[in-house]
Amino acid sequence: MTENQAAPQLEVRSLRKSYDDGRIEALRGVDLSINAGDYVAISGASGSGKSTLLQLLGGLDIPTSGQVLFKGQTLDHIGLDDYRARQLGFIFQAFHLIPTLRAIENVQVPMLATGVDAATRSQRAETLLVEMGLQHRLKQFPNELSAGERQRVAIARALANNPSILLADEPTGNLDSVNSAHVMDLLRGIQKDRGMTLVVVTHENDIAHAAPRHIRIRDGRIEA
Amino acid sequence: MLTLIGISMAIGAFVALVGFSRSFEGEWMRLYSSSGTDIAVVEKNFLNSSVNQSLTDKLRAVPLVEQAAPMIFNLMDLTPEVNAIAFGWLDDTYEFNSLTFESGGRFHNNKPEVILGSLLAKNLNKKVGDTLNLQGSAFTVVGIFHGGTALEAGAVILPLDQMQQLTSMQGKVSGFHVRLRPAPAGESSEIYLKRAQAEIEAAVPGLNAQLASDRASNNQFVDLAHAVAWGTSAIALAMGILGIANTMAMSVFERTREIGILRAIGWKAGRVMLLIEVEAAVLGVAGGILGIGVGWGALQLLSLMPKTNVLVHTSLTPSHLAQSMVISLLSGLIAGAYPAWRGSHLSPVEALRHD
Repeated sequence: MTENQAAPQLEVRSLRKSYDDGRIEALRGVDLSINAGDYVAISGASGSGKSTLLQLLGGLDIPTSGQVLFKGQTLDHIGLDDYRARQLGFIFQAFHLIPTLRAIENVQVPMLATGVDAATRSQRAETLLVEMGLQHRLKQFPNELSAGERQRVAIARALANNPSILLADEPTGNLDSVNSAHVMDLLRGIQKDRGMTLVVVTHENDIAHAAPRHIRIRDGRIEA
Repeated sequence: MLTLIGISMAIGAFVALVGFSRSFEGEWMRLYSSSGTDIAVVEKNFLNSSVNQSLTDKLRAVPLVEQAAPMIFNLMDLTPEVNAIAFGWLDDTYEFNSLTFESGGRFHNNKPEVILGSLLAKNLNKKVGDTLNLQGSAFTVVGIFHGGTALEAGAVILPLDQMQQLTSMQGKVSGFHVRLRPAPAGESSEIYLKRAQAEIEAAVPGLNAQLASDRASNNQFVDLAHAVAWGTSAIALAMGILGIANTMAMSVFERTREIGILRAIGWKAGRVMLLIEVEAAVLGVAGGILGIGVGWGALQLLSLMPKTNVLVHTSLTPSHLAQSMVISLLSGLIAGAYPAWRGSHLSPVEALRHD
């Protein structure tokens, strides 16, 4: 299948995911289209399948059946590694920074996968951290940073390869209300300024309602 | 740290043991070259061969042969702590020419006299005029020589007849050392040596005329030393490789989430595999560098011990060092292969969930 400019940026068709030899069905046939530049919130109760959907959208896991398409092409066709390295930026609830690397080094790690030279890596990482308001924390290790700062480093890392899509899984789940608001402001600003697609999985209603498009998942299905 | 110590011990064992066996081989090589021996005539299959001394005349009658020296060669325990290579020579053998006497001089046939290498004299604390007891017989030390090689410096040399009595080899010798006449002009030394071998073997059927260099590197002592060195080193290396493999497997397990992060942000499986393999290789090389130090230290110790100092030189050759580093690197890569494969094939989702 060739790239189709008219196709949605992200599309899922009849997506199913089951575990434990089919005894647990996390997703039970999801269809969804997301256009470039959309800001979409996905919410649902714990175990509803919202994180599984995000993982499948991000090529972190393989669906049991159905398809995930990026600009009309299947992820298999693009290559999962290339898709994740060049098109996506991930933000996790638990930050998932590498504890033995400094903030600026953590931001450089994704660029190693795309062959960016060392000087550019360093410069781009510093620019992104400054953009996140962390100019004075470049050399700190993750355990020397506050939770809010860690998440901002994670956001800078997600932007390192200038992806077209940001996927955030409960990005404020480990933050207090002040830091939550700050992080969501940052994400909204990035989505707007860069024209990026932003998909946020959250169980917080105010974050979900603030998104222009809000999708609810219940028992592995999108609610009408 | 424990892994590093483990692999450094393994490489250290390799450096010391193989270094020991190579220096042993080198000493043999120097022994033949310094004495001017071109060909050793021995039985085909045994190191300690036993042939009739009466064949000396047949060898001396071969036109290409300038000198044929019957000799006995053996290893002897002189004291519980000191052993030595013992030679039985005639008192007019050309092989005396390679020795420089520090004190005293040659022995005489049919007399209970010995000459000692300087290193052996030092180990035994003997000087000219002292008595040395060999298998219950008293021998007078009549000379102390500075040998051209560590084997010679640690050797005891007796009159051939005395050695024959001690070893119950009356009328027999271990073999003959032969010095050839100069090659005629126009004939290459290689062709000349082959011709000499053929003529000697024709003169003494059933015996083998080996080039001195072949005899030095292919004799059973050297082969045994090599086999023991490589065998022991292989076992030590296998233990070292298991140590690195265990460390890398634990490292991959402990860093499962980290690997998941790398995979999630687009690192290909091959790059993750490379990362783990490079870490294992660095561990192997670091162990190798430490191990060379350990091995060199072990060789120094061996060179100080009376039982081994006659057999060992402490210098390490560049090729031995390079071989040690290559083996260290390969050990790391082999040990890291499975952990690397396992780590690179982790599912990103499963890895990120890992506690």
